[in-house]
Amino acid sequence: MTKNIFNRRRFLRDLGLGAATLPFISGLPSLNASKALTGAAPKRLVVMFSPNGTLPDEFWPDEYGDDVPLQLKPILKPLEPFSDRMLILKGVHNKIRGDGDNHMRGMSCLLTATELLPGNIQGGSDSPAGWAGGISIDQEIKNHFQSQESVRTRFGSLEFGVAVPNRADPWTRMCYVGSNKPLAPIDDPGQMFEKLYGGAQDRKHMSSVLDHVRTDLRRVSRKLSSEDKRLLNEHMEMVRRLENDIAAAEAQNDLVHPEPEIDPDIELVNDNTPEISRMQIDLLVNALANDMARVASLQYMRSVGQARMRWLDIQEGHHSLSHEPDSNEDAKEKLRRINYWFATELAYLAQRLAETPEPGGRGGSMLDNTQIVWLNELGKGNSHTLSNIPFVLIGGGAGFKTGRALDFQGVPHNALWLSLAHGLGHQELNTFGTHKYSMDGPLCIS
Amino acid sequence: MNVFRIKLSANTDRYTWTWLLAFTVFTMISWTRADSSDAGKFTRLTEQSTDIGDQTARMESLPKFIRGKTIYQNQCASCHGENGEGVAEEYDEPLYGNRSLESLTRRIVRTMPEDDPDLCVDEDAVAVSAYVFHSFYSAEARHKMGMAPRIELARLTVPQYQNSVADLLGYLTPSMEVKVPKDPSLEAFGSEEAGLNAVYFQSKGMNKANKQKLERIDTHIEFDFKEGSPHSDIEPDQFAIIWEGALHAEATGHYEFRVSTQNGARLYLNNDPGRARGKLRDDSSVAGQQALIDGWVSSGEMRAMEARLFLLGGRHYPIRLEYFKYLEKTGSIKLEWKPPHGIWQVLNGEALKTNRPPRTFVVETIFPADDRSLGYERGSSVSWSWFEAVTQAAVKTSSEIVERLPLLAGFKAGDENRASKLKEFLPNLAQLAYRRPLTGDEDLLFREELLAKAESPEIAVRRGVMLALTSPSFLYAPWNASDSSSDPYHLASRLALFLWDSMPDRELMDAAAKNQLNSREQVLAQVQRMLHHPASKRKMRCFFEHWLEIEERDLQKDSELYPDFDKKLIVDLRKSLNLFIEEVVWSDQSDYRQLLLDDHLILNPFLREYYISQEVSEKGKEPEINKPMTGFQRVRFPREQRSGILTHPYLLSAFAYHNNTSPIHRGVFLTRNVVGRALNPPPVAVAFKDSDFPEDITMREKVTQLTSDTACMACHSVINPLGFALENFDAVGRWRTHEKAKPVNTLSQYFTEDGERIEVERARDIAEFAAGNEAAHTAFVSQIFQYYAKHPPAAFAANALQSLRLQFTEEGFNIQKLVMEMAVLAVTFDLETGTQL
Repeated sequence: MTKNIFNRRRFLRDLGLGAATLPFISGLPSLNASKALTGAAPKRLVVMFSPNGTLPDEFWPDEYGDDVPLQLKPILKPLEPFSDRMLILKGVHNKIRGDGDNHMRGMSCLLTATELLPGNIQGGSDSPAGWAGGISIDQEIKNHFQSQESVRTRFGSLEFGVAVPNRADPWTRMCYVGSNKPLAPIDDPGQMFEKLYGGAQDRKHMSSVLDHVRTDLRRVSRKLSSEDKRLLNEHMEMVRRLENDIAAAEAQNDLVHPEPEIDPDIELVNDNTPEISRMQIDLLVNALANDMARVASLQYMRSVGQARMRWLDIQEGHHSLSHEPDSNEDAKEKLRRINYWFATELAYLAQRLAETPEPGGRGGSMLDNTQIVWLNELGKGNSHTLSNIPFVLIGGGAGFKTGRALDFQGVPHNALWLSLAHGLGHQELNTFGTHKYSMDGPLCIS
Repeated sequence: MNVFRIKLSANTDRYTWTWLLAFTVFTMISWTRADSSDAGKFTRLTEQSTDIGDQTARMESLPKFIRGKTIYQNQCASCHGENGEGVAEEYDEPLYGNRSLESLTRRIVRTMPEDDPDLCVDEDAVAVSAYVFHSFYSAEARHKMGMAPRIELARLTVPQYQNSVADLLGYLTPSMEVKVPKDPSLEAFGSEEAGLNAVYFQSKGMNKANKQKLERIDTHIEFDFKEGSPHSDIEPDQFAIIWEGALHAEATGHYEFRVSTQNGARLYLNNDPGRARGKLRDDSSVAGQQALIDGWVSSGEMRAMEARLFLLGGRHYPIRLEYFKYLEKTGSIKLEWKPPHGIWQVLNGEALKTNRPPRTFVVETIFPADDRSLGYERGSSVSWSWFEAVTQAAVKTSSEIVERLPLLAGFKAGDENRASKLKEFLPNLAQLAYRRPLTGDEDLLFREELLAKAESPEIAVRRGVMLALTSPSFLYAPWNASDSSSDPYHLASRLALFLWDSMPDRELMDAAAKNQLNSREQVLAQVQRMLHHPASKRKMRCFFEHWLEIEERDLQKDSELYPDFDKKLIVDLRKSLNLFIEEVVWSDQSDYRQLLLDDHLILNPFLREYYISQEVSEKGKEPEINKPMTGFQRVRFPREQRSGILTHPYLLSAFAYHNNTSPIHRGVFLTRNVVGRALNPPPVAVAFKDSDFPEDITMREKVTQLTSDTACMACHSVINPLGFALENFDAVGRWRTHEKAKPVNTLSQYFTEDGERIEVERARDIAEFAAGNEAAHTAFVSQIFQYYAKHPPAAFAANALQSLRLQFTEEGFNIQKLVMEMAVLAVTFDLETGTQL
């Protein structure tokens, strides 16, 4: 984070959006901070998506296996501080076929590991398709958590987006509640902030104007007959009661981690993406720290995303660049920068989790108990391959053995999701997504 | 109809009558219009009250007055109290009322004292009546005694609050004109025809709007293209359509919408149409806005997707439906809705218009119901749940405003005048909300202090909105403040609440600012303008639903007895009643009597078939039909059968059991609401149980048996004859001459409040009686006044009700003129003759 951005930071809490469903006077549901004190350390999952494939040469290590020291190629350099808590998985393929082009299946079959339903959305090739035909792994794990009283949280899962276009189609959705039921990410930090902390903020604003309301009541009251004053006196009593209620609510709902400070005037435009990205990560880490959810996803753009990353001094759209042949050195250099930037954001996420102590005084950091999974809808942009999806796992939530790179030489990614579910405590899950691809059980990565 | 007048008494002399009538006319001096010599002035309604006082003082020394007082003290006071206040255990109702002196005298002659009505007749009755009337019975007398109802402080009622917030945001929106996209094909739109503008495209892969092929108005969206296409010029494999326009919501409530298609579709409702791009791609063409129903991605199976939205009645909302078909075998699209009191039906041209209204912000917060204990909604109390709702609604409104701030405050991203525009925004908002210019302190607060204290302008706006919408200056109706008279803004504000249940529009505020609400003419000109605003029609409609007690009616009947009386028919009936009322009220005559006496109904072909077929078979004659039957048309009925609203099948069905008629329900409704007679609650609770009676007796016989007790008959002697007169109509309001095998007997003797005995046999007898009856007129005027003003007429002026009634009579019972006169009275009643104008 640059100093410049830091100086401009103010409270975002007032960027008001979509408060329609927020509790106001009823107060926030318990934030469960005390719950974390008892029992085992919580397990968490954060999925981060970036689009348009990677540059294999710049990403994949040269050697794999337990005995080989983990080598970080240029794109992954920002993650160096976490290399001993990292797991790079090669040879894990998205083998799902059927309707839809590779970008669609790459996106909507990534976390669902099942086919798309037939449909009316035409991609750049192949047959048209609809939504995915099954639940995504993050939602499967969320449901598992939410089914148990001891690990249930207010939201269960939170879906963050960064620069996701306002459209709902198989290129834009990776999380699914079930077949034909996509879940939209929230890509407006203001809206997410309202969702997380809105009620409390509204109470603060309201209490800031109550003095003026009282003044008005007194002023109007002076002009009234004694009979009419009675009504305003009752009104005045309610203002007093509201003030007390707000104070009481504030006292009850003191957050373990106060709301993050972020720029309130941020516009949801392409050029603000870097700032929005950091805001969303701050909000995400904060929500996890306050135990509002134990599953989160962070979706950058969408599959086929055309972000113009002028902040990296790149004028062309990301997707167009990803189509350039390997021989185009200029495009390659730009794609390296783009993916490097995504890795930087991932590193920031990991860093924030690493520097936040695990709530409840258990010791250790939140990263120790949070499994981050970074993924992409394609293996490589210009070939549109769904093989060798660049999976990077960071953190400790699922208990995988880290500090290494493994090459599975072509297993279906359904197996990875089984491992993830088991690692996070959902052991009853025997099959996930398309059955024939999950028959061999989980990958051995623990 | 035969009328038998009961004579006062044989020896009532001519002199007594002259005295009595002269006095009556004198005391009922109407609120006369200013003549040409003092044009430009209000003539005060209560102007003559001091004269009346002087006159009464003189009266008090008259022998007749003294005689009346003596008689009262001897014969009446033991039950009615020294000053008519009532006596516990005897007659505890206060002796106050709206009868004329003549009517009161007749009543005394006929019924008082209760144990021996013959004891007080003739000149005794005249004298005691005059004493009672002028001492405490009449509104004027109570005024003199300091017992007049006063205008109690009231907050905005729930509808007033909802409409005020909606209009506040509407007036804040810089231009009500919606910018039409530059696409020339869309510029032709803007007319106000029934239906939606439709643009049809040939699609090409991802480009849904590849070639525009057709542009037209579709009155409803219910298309089954099957394997074909909408037009010969469009290839059937892939095409797209955009429908856009306005949705008219008649009633306030929850509306449900359903889009059915096997293809892709998105429905936007109450979106910000100014933000539309007019293009159709896979991504949303309504920038940044949430679709109410998003069914863009489809797997080719037919889906019916539903969503619900709360809308305020009497308003237009933007609507946009986008549809595309892509390589699916077949195509179809249907848009249905279920309005409040309605059933699922295809949205059609009755509710769709081709114009493009702006978004209307609707507060969805649930408010507790307003007090209705006096028969009309009023904001007479505050409760915690009301306060909570107000607070929450302020929070939601602040979110809406902050979200749309660039549009509302008129700045674009990076606008260098942003700061100065924001400085103007909050004072402007507060001024609209308070319906008056801000005080110096308020201006400073909204212009400077809030901005200075907040971390960002958005925070300041948010707090400013919360304050403005929870301040008493917004929440309370401006009738009470001691400094309110002669303030043109208060006058404007009262006018808007009275006619619209909302806040003044720009024009009215401008008139106040320019001091152009200074004379009766100026006020009347505003009233005339405002009366034809949709908000005014909305309020009128709501009044009639209230008066006719049809707001929340369940008309469903026994489906075995009335198999065709289904939900659709009920919805059509309600519409038929509303159409009839609107036709009468908004005609030039706007004649109240026509509501009661008209011999036609407005029916559609279904209703016509249901309500006419029987008559044709029974009576063998075809009712007259004015126009070809398309939709709803006037249908004339034999005069001896139908008579205005009294015999509208909706009301006949509403006041009936699910399996039988109910003369009591019908009779009570007619007594209270149409004839205008007060009824006390039943002294004993008796439930009507059909099974308690032998099968072979008629409903009339059952009711007669049930209410035969003397205690019951005190009221049922009035109720039953009116209810029996409608026994020609079954439980769903169809004409009948027989009940099972027995002929229906509808003839009864009815005693009016003044003791007249009339023969009542048909609905028309009752209607004619009411149309020519003072008590009925008084009741109507009183009901409509209270509904509009939310306060009783006597709180505005002692003789308000009387003079409005007289004027109503003089003006041919014109309802529109009545409402206008009421409005002028209610907003100017407290202007001091000397200081104002």
